[in-house]
Amino acid sequence: MKPLLLLIEDDPQIRRFLRAALDAEGYRLQESITAEDGLAQAASRQPDLILLDLGLPDRDGLEVIQRVREWGKIPILVLSARGQEKDKIAALDLGADDYVAKPFAIGELLARVRAALRRASTRGDAAGSVVRFGPVEVDLEKRVVRVDAQEVHLTPNEYKLLQVLIQHTGKVLTQRQLLNEVWGPQHTEQAQYLRVYIAQLRRKLERNPARPKYLQTEPGVGYRLVPED
Amino acid sequence: MVPLREAFLAAAIVAVATIASLLLRDTLAATNLAMIYLGGVVAVAMRCSRRVSVTVSFVSVAAFDFFCVPPYLTFAVSDYQYVFTFAMMLLVALVISAQTARLREHAGQAAVRQARTEALYRLSSKLAAETRVFEAARAAATLAEEVFGARVVMFLPEDGQLSFRRRTSDHLPVPPSEEAIAQWVFDHGHKAGLRTDTLPGATALYLPLRGARETFGVLAVLPDVVSNGENRIFAPEQQHLLEVFASQTALAIERTMSQRAEEETRVHMQTEQMRSSLLSAMSHDLRTPLASITGAASTLRSQGDRLPAETKQELLESISDEAVRLSRLVGNLLDMTRFESGGVELRRDLYPLEEIVGTVLQRMEPQLEGRVVSTDLAGNLPPEALPIMVFVDDVLLGQVLWNLIENAAKYTPPGSPLDLVAFEDNAAVIIELRDRGPGVPPGDEERIFEKFYRGKSEKVRGAGLGLPICRAIVEAHRGTIRALAREGGGTIFRISLPSESKTASA
Repeated sequence: MKPLLLLIEDDPQIRRFLRAALDAEGYRLQESITAEDGLAQAASRQPDLILLDLGLPDRDGLEVIQRVREWGKIPILVLSARGQEKDKIAALDLGADDYVAKPFAIGELLARVRAALRRASTRGDAAGSVVRFGPVEVDLEKRVVRVDAQEVHLTPNEYKLLQVLIQHTGKVLTQRQLLNEVWGPQHTEQAQYLRVYIAQLRRKLERNPARPKYLQTEPGVGYRLVPED
Repeated sequence: MVPLREAFLAAAIVAVATIASLLLRDTLAATNLAMIYLGGVVAVAMRCSRRVSVTVSFVSVAAFDFFCVPPYLTFAVSDYQYVFTFAMMLLVALVISAQTARLREHAGQAAVRQARTEALYRLSSKLAAETRVFEAARAAATLAEEVFGARVVMFLPEDGQLSFRRRTSDHLPVPPSEEAIAQWVFDHGHKAGLRTDTLPGATALYLPLRGARETFGVLAVLPDVVSNGENRIFAPEQQHLLEVFASQTALAIERTMSQRAEEETRVHMQTEQMRSSLLSAMSHDLRTPLASITGAASTLRSQGDRLPAETKQELLESISDEAVRLSRLVGNLLDMTRFESGGVELRRDLYPLEEIVGTVLQRMEPQLEGRVVSTDLAGNLPPEALPIMVFVDDVLLGQVLWNLIENAAKYTPPGSPLDLVAFEDNAAVIIELRDRGPGVPPGDEERIFEKFYRGKSEKVRGAGLGLPICRAIVEAHRGTIRALAREGGGTIFRISLPSESKTASA
């Protein structure tokens, strides 16, 4: 059966073109125009993914994320306006999986939907003990990292950071989430450490650290590991 | 009334002259002793008023007769030649008194003139430094208190009515009932109150602050009763100086007000001019893509079934491209508006510069259409050193780089090199975008950062907001951005971020 998507969006024009595009891709689609109805639909229909607009007429979209996360792990993809990094970070910290900024090209949205669905379906599977992206090979069992088959030495924190990114491959992780997972909850405000560690990782793993292909920055938000272009 | 001090001084000098004469009476001739008394008259004339020195002249002749002319200790005279001596002595003493007194008066007047010039000079330099009406009045009142040794308050009008509430002193030194006197002075432009023809019983003297065209307020002077009963502010020359003070202050206020009015007019005109150029830029730049979108979409809707597939594809692409352009334009406009209304809050932190650059270049890839931007961000650092760190708002600095690269791609020939270079220089991080394009026309290096300025190039379209936004962002970071001619042709856009941008929170 094709995946069921729940679209919570109040603007009729945006719903119209999303309906057309998602339909053409073969997804089943359920639509809601209010947060209240969206929450009810999410609970009763148990969709495979929620597409959520943050500017809803009745309630803040952030509240929808919070309520859904109280009972389930359905992937949530946020549609946000350009330049509102604060909202993006808040949405991700509350447990949203990803976001696309309006206006967006449909290709980008479809790619994000596919990636989120894929992550959800492989969740819980023991990821193979060896992960590869580009020239990089990470043996999670032996904790060995190789670039072009040459072993590269990572410090414990660098390795831990890489491990967290690999665990959430393709997903944006906010600075707060990364700091919390690698350094612990007391250090969530020290983002400059994180940036220096990311810079070091790039130096060790990327061919051109100034043009990273795999360890990508989401400006103002955080980082994500993109396994392949 | 002769001040007691002068009387004592005069008596003492005469006494000293008498004692000296008594001691020298046996060695000097009597006529020479007269010289000692004349010396005493000179000393008195130099220190005391004319009246005192004239009195001393007579007393000296009498004392000379009594103590130095035989028979001693009587006013009787044995040799009648002395009558001539007395007459000459008195004449010389009186002339000395008169001349010395006149000299002293001249000196006194010169001192008053000098004090007055100095006071007015201080007033005008204080007033010149003030750009606000109330502050000018306050400065003038403070100086007047010092110069006149009296309490001075200035009252300024509120909504056309003089008010004791708008005053230069913290508390009100005159009874509130005298507000009516001040109001009268303000309305009529004449002085009133203490020691004038109008309401002389008031506690203070009220002078109008009269400028060339109108009255700006009222100056109130209260004689300082504590220091001495007869206050010198009522001396004619002090009264005159006080009036000059008032009128100087009024002129300064008038000047300040007309400057402000001028400034307001100028800003207003500039705003109007900006608004109209914004409107014309907007109507053109918003309508052009809208026209393409509307045209292409309506063509597809009404004739879609008759068009070849290829044409349909082209129309669809133009709709999509124009929409992207429109979106960028609206984004720039919104950013500029946010900057101008002060609604942008910098979220600064330490970032490796290469991270910001890398993100921008990656996101711009589709737009650069294969054009390569080469980067050298290690600057003069050794290869193993940490990357250059900057203390910035990463999103906003990213936007600066985006706009610069986008501009460079628009204004330079396809395939010509674009280099992004960064290095540390003393107390700054320098980021440069270097191109080999046609260069900025000489003299326009600053104008290109002004709103709605566009290059001459015909094929390039835009609202002329990219560079102004860059400048606003860089300046919000306390940095500078400039366009420089590049040796060998082309342009260098140089951003300089001060070192606090690097270490403030490290």
